[in-house]
Amino acid sequence: MIRVQRGRGGWVSSGGKLARAVAVVSLGAMLALAGCSSKKTQGLNDGNNPNALGEGGVNGSGQGSLEQLTKGTLGQGQQGPLTDIHFAYNEYTIQPQDGSILRGNASWLQKNASSRVQVEGHCDDRGSEEYNIALGAKRAQAAKEYLVTLGIPGDRISTISYGKELPVCTEHDESCWSQNRRDHFVVNQ
Amino acid sequence: MKRSSTAGAILFAIVWFAMLLPVSAQPPPAAGAGPLRMTIEGPGSQLSTIAVSGLKNLGGDDDHRTSSDFVTTLRRNLDLSGYFRNIDPHAFIEDPQTSGFELGQFNFADWRSINSDFVVKGSIAQESSSIKLTAYLYDVAQQRRMMGKNYTGAPGDVRRMARRFADAVLEASTGQKGPFDSKLAFVSTRGGRFKEIYTQSIDGEDLFKLTDNPTINLFPSFDRTTNSVLYLSYKSMEPSLYLADLKAQREIKLGSPHGRVIGGTISSDGTRVVAAIERNGATNLFLLAREGGELRQLTDGNGINVSPAISPDGSMLAFTSDRSGTPQIWVMPLGGGAARRITFKGDYNTTPSYSPKGDRIVYQSRAKGRFDIWTIALAGGTPAQLTDGNGSNEYPSWSPDGRYIAFSSTRSGHSQIYIMMVSNRKIISTLTEGIGNDSCPAWSWWLGE
Repeated sequence: MIRVQRGRGGWVSSGGKLARAVAVVSLGAMLALAGCSSKKTQGLNDGNNPNALGEGGVNGSGQGSLEQLTKGTLGQGQQGPLTDIHFAYNEYTIQPQDGSILRGNASWLQKNASSRVQVEGHCDDRGSEEYNIALGAKRAQAAKEYLVTLGIPGDRISTISYGKELPVCTEHDESCWSQNRRDHFVVNQ
Repeated sequence: MKRSSTAGAILFAIVWFAMLLPVSAQPPPAAGAGPLRMTIEGPGSQLSTIAVSGLKNLGGDDDHRTSSDFVTTLRRNLDLSGYFRNIDPHAFIEDPQTSGFELGQFNFADWRSINSDFVVKGSIAQESSSIKLTAYLYDVAQQRRMMGKNYTGAPGDVRRMARRFADAVLEASTGQKGPFDSKLAFVSTRGGRFKEIYTQSIDGEDLFKLTDNPTINLFPSFDRTTNSVLYLSYKSMEPSLYLADLKAQREIKLGSPHGRVIGGTISSDGTRVVAAIERNGATNLFLLAREGGELRQLTDGNGINVSPAISPDGSMLAFTSDRSGTPQIWVMPLGGGAARRITFKGDYNTTPSYSPKGDRIVYQSRAKGRFDIWTIALAGGTPAQLTDGNGSNEYPSWSPDGRYIAFSSTRSGHSQIYIMMVSNRKIISTLTEGIGNDSCPAWSWWLGE
């Protein structure tokens, strides 16, 4: 399960799962890769291609928040058939008023049975980066579990957290914070 | 620091946790180490004055460029130390090219008359590919040499020689080596909208862009050799840890079959990584081998366990957990055992970092909607507050000598990295270019140790 990314004259990343097998083969893989590695005096440019998503990623719509960051369109409005839900500060419980939004999202997913959705968990900019990534994961998971209880198969729903890294609103006040504490739903049809 | 000379005794005042801990003086110097002893003074006391003279050219530095690089860097780092005030070189009487630099070859009166407590003098001999640099620290009142160093290296090493000499000046004058021959890693948006990882020297020089991908890169941490940097990146469009070998200029990706890696840190000996791994919304900590093989699951639950920090001796782990209902700092033996909660004041405490001695934790704590930096002794006791309501102050990291912390603060309106002297809570430096937001500082160990 080794994946290799070879950059534009950049460094070599060898990656893999943390399975025992990797521990055994990784040294050999690294030695093999060492020969391919070209030197660079500055930076680790792995030539990341935004269309080459990692495993678990959802591709196709171009509406993922990280893709929007890469393209420079984050915060300029996000289109898609599904509606965001929002959270209270430092909370990941689905709020009662968002139940109807989730039922609407589930209804769309049932009508579009071949579609997959990635739930993105986001936070406002208060708190530490790492804690907020974990909190965003809780928020994404909460929406996934809600959709599953509404009959959407769990294997059609993936989750990812961006913590506080991808705000759609950048002022430091409650009106922005409440917009940023969100689950965003990215559909791949 | 106030320095006064008496007949045979030099009093060095150092402020060392004077506000945080019971008074703890340095042990008395060994016999023959000179009449050095310590007293404790409060902040705001007078700084010692130091004159850093140009280096005498013994050949090859005819334009004095290498000398100038050394002198400028040394002055900058001595300023940063918070112990010294540099005397304006325009006041210098002596010409370093016509006077000597060894004891007896120059006149202390030239330095006493400009009120210099200390003077640095030395020499430089340069060939195309190598330099030989000698520098001495003199005590002007006592008319004696306190310390001397010889350095050889490439011409490009001269700033590092100056930082090492600054560390040695602090050691000679306070009994404890300075922290300036080290690096700071941090996250910055200065290049645009992407969070990239940079390293630079504490004096602001030698900026190096470690990552270059149009996504999010976070949480750099060094091992003690400072050749390895662990960081989190979304460059594959999902988060994963990467371990970069700066010497070999290559890296490995650490993923996990247990879920998504959302954070982590490397042990000081570089052999182990503690990763925060999320699965089904729960985030737990796992101990991994350097190249990713799993050694042990450290926490187990449905909550959030993040921000691992490994003690300098590798025996203990501090981390943030919400298992008590709010994010608090907990510690546990890295070899396995029960976790113990160490923060009880406040409802949001996170991002712990160990002191170099491993006896204290510095962390961020929320009050009135913002964060401030606090420290607490692991043995117990009342936490001590280092910042107080000036912006949001986050992500503290201790210097290798324990005197300083680096942290990020929004006090200027955007996030910048500040260096604070712990003893008197004085900000000694702001690392910024005035553009973008800087965050997640991580202070390395001394280079080359």
